[in-house]
Amino acid sequence: METFVPLVLNALTLISILMIVGLGLAIIFGLMNVINLAHGEFVTIGAFTLSFVQAMGGNYWMALLLAPFVGAAVGYALERLIVQHLYTRPMATILATWGVSLMIQQTLQIVFGSGPQQASGPIEGSVEFLGASYPAYRLLLITFAAGIIAAIVFVFRKTRFGLDLRAVIQDRDMAEAQGINTHRIYTIAFCGGAGIAAVAGVLIAPLTKVIALMGANYLAPSFFVVIVGGAGSIAGVAAGSAVVGGLETLLNYQVPVTVSQALVLIAAVIIVRFKPHGLIPA
Amino acid sequence: MDGTGLTPGRDRHAALTNPWVLLTVGLVAIAAAYPSWTDPYSLSVVRDALIFALLALSLDYLWGKAGILSFGHAAFFGIGAYSMAIFGPKIDSANAALVGLLAGTGIAGAVALVIGYFLIFGGVRGAYLTIVTLAISLVAQHIAIGWSEVTGGDSGLIGAPPPGIEIFGFSYVVLDPVHQYYLILAVTAISLLAIWLACRGHYGRVLAAIQDNELRARTLGYNTSLHLLIVFVVSAMLAALAGGMYDITSGYVAPDLIGLFMSTEIIVWVAVGGRGTLIGPIIGAFVVIRLQQEVSSVSYKLWPMFIGAFFVAMVFLFPNGLLPLLRRIPRIVAARLLRARKTE
Repeated sequence: METFVPLVLNALTLISILMIVGLGLAIIFGLMNVINLAHGEFVTIGAFTLSFVQAMGGNYWMALLLAPFVGAAVGYALERLIVQHLYTRPMATILATWGVSLMIQQTLQIVFGSGPQQASGPIEGSVEFLGASYPAYRLLLITFAAGIIAAIVFVFRKTRFGLDLRAVIQDRDMAEAQGINTHRIYTIAFCGGAGIAAVAGVLIAPLTKVIALMGANYLAPSFFVVIVGGAGSIAGVAAGSAVVGGLETLLNYQVPVTVSQALVLIAAVIIVRFKPHGLIPA
Repeated sequence: MDGTGLTPGRDRHAALTNPWVLLTVGLVAIAAAYPSWTDPYSLSVVRDALIFALLALSLDYLWGKAGILSFGHAAFFGIGAYSMAIFGPKIDSANAALVGLLAGTGIAGAVALVIGYFLIFGGVRGAYLTIVTLAISLVAQHIAIGWSEVTGGDSGLIGAPPPGIEIFGFSYVVLDPVHQYYLILAVTAISLLAIWLACRGHYGRVLAAIQDNELRARTLGYNTSLHLLIVFVVSAMLAALAGGMYDITSGYVAPDLIGLFMSTEIIVWVAVGGRGTLIGPIIGAFVVIRLQQEVSSVSYKLWPMFIGAFFVAMVFLFPNGLLPLLRRIPRIVAARLLRARKTE
């Protein structure tokens, strides 16, 4: 029990972060067919928001409230200025968003320096959980993540916007014929995805090294989540996160981190061979 | 396909008067004459640029000819370079560099074969395939940094065998830097010639058809997945060859040769030169590396910013690359002049 509970909780930490980052990515991809290589930078922006707010004397909760708006604002600019003009050119979107990703990284490095930034969680210490001692902040993170995911599911299933969103994912032309403003849906979904990724950045910041180049570490795994799970459905992202996050955590106990990353890559590649549309297709 | 300018079935002598062929022959001649008037340092700079040009060529074969954009080519380049640095010095024979090259291209080919088989035959195409190549780069860099007992970690590895051959008691080792330069030039020129010859006929048409509409090409009876897999593997091996050559001549490898940013730079070389033109990416590599030296001498932080802005500018202003744009300028100017004369 003493090793099993932390293992499960570590896996849940990674799974919930991957799921939040992956959800934004999957909705943007499923909806607009846009591969956003700057998505990792929204995580970075969230983490830097926390560092900046704490450096200015603010606390964790202020950053958690502020980050989605910062992320959504940058996402809005990206969608309006660049992505919107490239909907019919997927390869061009990849190159352009990659360019934006490099520019955001360099801007952050020039403004904040290339060294790691300070960021701390709202609570410290460990608590007893199911007979094992576990860091309290990680439990908080898992709870938050579960709340965010529940909120996304609610918006997706129970609101008018979610209905419109699902209609556009299913058949864009038909949705337009029904009077849904698809461009408005695109913009809101893009900003939403960016904002959620920024929240993930705040959540993960106290547990990791906050540097301008941290986004790439979340970009590739969250794309794996989408590829393995299937784009355009929440269940698919959940399945993908569980496989990628669970496997990586489990392997990290047995082999060095580098080997486990390579093994996750191989596992993802093999799954794609036999389930080309993901474990749970839309 | 624009840029290659060569259409099979045209006059057999057309190749000899084609401006791109003349340009290529002229450039190779200049490169061959270069050592006679330059100093050793400039020679080593051009030699490195030639190796990177070979790397750009390998990506152009994949991206330009088969339409697969890869963020993983630095990984294959790195596999070639690290294999040379790891295996080469262990062998006490003039063949050491050859063994290193064989190991590097073999490992890179095997990795590309395994990953490519599962993905390409699994029906993964376009953007998804690109994402996985991106992950290959990330994993490769993590291995290069993390597995320090073998790869030297952050500081990399120093030492490489000189290129040479030993067969039936006959032994020859290329030690003179000028001779090494000619060796690199020959390998790059031969690779260019080989890909150009292969792609100018029927085979090039098949690849163009796959890029254009894979379903239609498959309906015509072509095993499109197999074609794409072969291009992927050959391209990876060519990148590893460039990596091995890099280690032979410069004598060191470091993790920044294998990472995602390096992959990005390869894409820039190809994009500047115009993908699918083969000679374009080679010129692109030279132009961009020169530009990089200028920009980095102002501030090394500016360069990634510059690359980022370049990508954004490219997709809007010159989606086919910069050099093809330059090529159109005389035509545009001529058309303007003609119109001006008519209105007079």
